[in-house]
Amino acid sequence: MSREISARPRRRLGKAILVSLPFLLLSTMMLMGASAGSQGNTLFLVPFLVTFAFINVLFFMMMYTGKTDRYRAVFFITMAVGFVITFIANLLEVRGSMALSAANMVRGETPFCHMVIPMTLIPAALTRTIIFPGRILGGFADVATMFTLWIGASLALGRGFCSWGCFFGGLEDGFSRIRRKPVLRRIAEKWTYLPYAVLIVVVALAALSLSPTYCEWLCPFKTVTEFAAVTSFKVAVQTAMFVSLFIGLVVVLPVMTKKRTQCGLFCPMGAFQSLTNKVNAFEVRIDREKCNDCMRCVGVCPTYSIDKASVSKGVTRISCTKCGKCVDECPSGAVSYHVKGTPVTGRTGGARMLFLYPGFIFLAVFGSGMIQGALYRLLLLLTTGSMIK
Amino acid sequence: MRKLKSFVGYTWALTALPLVLATFIGLNTWAKSLADITGVKISPWHSGGEVARVIRHDGFKTAINEPVFRGLIGERKRGFVQVKWTPDEGRRLPAMVDDSIDLDADGTTDFRVRLDTKTNEAQLDPYNPAVVGLIQVFDLGNERAIRVRLLNPHRGDTRQ
Amino acid sequence: MEPLLLGLSNGTICLAYCAPVLVPFFLGEGAGTRRNIPLLLEFLLGRLIGYLVFAVLAWMLGLLLLPTLVWHQVIFGGAYLLLAILLVVYGFSNLKSRCSWESAPGRLKTLLLRWPAAVPLALGLLTGLNLCPPFLLAMTRAAATPGILHSVRFFVLFFVGTSIYFLPIPLVGAFSSLKSLQVVGRLACGIMGVYYSYLGIVMLHGGVGHL
Repeated sequence: MSREISARPRRRLGKAILVSLPFLLLSTMMLMGASAGSQGNTLFLVPFLVTFAFINVLFFMMMYTGKTDRYRAVFFITMAVGFVITFIANLLEVRGSMALSAANMVRGETPFCHMVIPMTLIPAALTRTIIFPGRILGGFADVATMFTLWIGASLALGRGFCSWGCFFGGLEDGFSRIRRKPVLRRIAEKWTYLPYAVLIVVVALAALSLSPTYCEWLCPFKTVTEFAAVTSFKVAVQTAMFVSLFIGLVVVLPVMTKKRTQCGLFCPMGAFQSLTNKVNAFEVRIDREKCNDCMRCVGVCPTYSIDKASVSKGVTRISCTKCGKCVDECPSGAVSYHVKGTPVTGRTGGARMLFLYPGFIFLAVFGSGMIQGALYRLLLLLTTGSMIK
Repeated sequence: MRKLKSFVGYTWALTALPLVLATFIGLNTWAKSLADITGVKISPWHSGGEVARVIRHDGFKTAINEPVFRGLIGERKRGFVQVKWTPDEGRRLPAMVDDSIDLDADGTTDFRVRLDTKTNEAQLDPYNPAVVGLIQVFDLGNERAIRVRLLNPHRGDTRQ
Repeated sequence: MEPLLLGLSNGTICLAYCAPVLVPFFLGEGAGTRRNIPLLLEFLLGRLIGYLVFAVLAWMLGLLLLPTLVWHQVIFGGAYLLLAILLVVYGFSNLKSRCSWESAPGRLKTLLLRWPAAVPLALGLLTGLNLCPPFLLAMTRAAATPGILHSVRFFVLFFVGTSIYFLPIPLVGAFSSLKSLQVVGRLACGIMGVYYSYLGIVMLHGGVGHL
């Protein structure tokens, strides 16, 4: 077998530093702004500095090696773990429990999660109310703030939000990288349409019941965030369902398939977010002139967003989350980030840069608080013996 | 044409970074503007609805909310009303709250509730056929609230 | 709102199985969007008539069962559960289903093709009389409503929910992803079946408790 020669030359060190400098300045500005007010405290300063260095080293490595996914994934997974630690610790501190009581909901204390967004739109349009027991403004993760973040991410990144923003996706991303080789390689193509079916059903039922159906019945991530206290048979059934879905779709299947099965085969928010790929400037394309049809991109895509049919057309499916794994894997450099409206062939480095800057800045700013929070909790544990104050 | 498409594409792509930066830098401002422009509120099915009347008692007040019947389109046959008891500043609610509630201020008691604020058990006596029964008692720290199931008088027959 | 949303979540099935018959018909007429709109309206009228026939049948079924109030919840709960399981199997399996037009007798087809004006109406009627699991579930729900007007209202709203997906048909070019729609619709059916299974169990449990 002839040696495959990478079509993507490594950047020289100087060029990599030059290209990373603006990112260093931007991240300094954004992270300093986000952490204002807590910098005097040593317990906050160390996590801030560690996170700042972490972000910039990863970005530099992206520029230096020309690889995207492996460095993106490191931050993405760390962010997800950080989110879980921070969220649970905060709940235990404030409420003493991960369980959400009816009183919490009546008081509007439930943090608004982006997964609810598709279900809220029809009721919001017809009744001008948000069917969620949270707050419109004020408090942690209020509705208006989360909507604003989602709108900005969708316009800038499209479904890239799922690989450069969603803190739940990082958990599966992590589990999918445990094994070297998958145990389950093939999955029937029809299951890749399941997220759209789930989306239709939860949106319809949410509008019917004026209640966030997916959150109540199906969201697997309640296992690692918060959930309704089990006070009735109905809630017990709901609890059994979301715990089973977490174990199955977030842990077991990603380990066995090396894919993000919850994201690619179930998540209705992901299905909804796929539509935002239509209003986004970026996509991943396959240069048919360079492509040798080895199908390695199909094998590595974590969300089933490339198949033989799409490769033959030189495109990815609408569900592409722009994680960069196929771009890194392609031995002939045929797969690349692409700006819509521009030629597919030729130099692709510019398109990659144009995407990575907003993508990684979003990831860094959105996730830095979670990582800092987790580091702070770990420092608390080391210094006081407990993660909660 | 090809050059024009490329120009538009790159311009569109170049807006992504400023968009991300603007989202974070102006997050609070954008969020407030979004809330103001849309005028959305939390659904009364979750928030309990707007306060209709507040009745003062000795040491506490009773807030009676507007009954909640709003559906996706029109009103539902069944809804609820939320009633909340709040103690005065620096005080606690009495051990037993015995309150007669007139929902529509027509001078007629619609239901009576006896709430034990220590055990959070409540007994409800309906006097209006539209009052179905107690849904739940909420312990809100110093405050207590209940939700009472109602039949919608605007949707015809109020028999259960 | 429930029948409307039941129709919305199951309507892709109705479209996806009948569109392969409808789309060639519209293309065959060859008259473009302007002519296709009245054809579509005629087709939808045929479907509505089919649905109203079932509305009356559902009401009659309800009349038979409602007097026996003690068994009301048990019968309907059991029916829900069975149909819901059928819906789950139908939704998640690879079982084939055919549009009623394909199952119609050859003589009927020949007769209709001699009377072209009646074809869209007949197509609509036949697709409206298709006994697919979502439809059977809608029928069970309608049978549980009190009164013929409620049953008719239920089916009219169900019809509206399913018909939304037919509206783009005059723009025949919009069907490049027909297979995807078919798959999504079928899976949505399966998920709705899981939801109705829960409702059936709750209803059955309530009914058994009252016996």
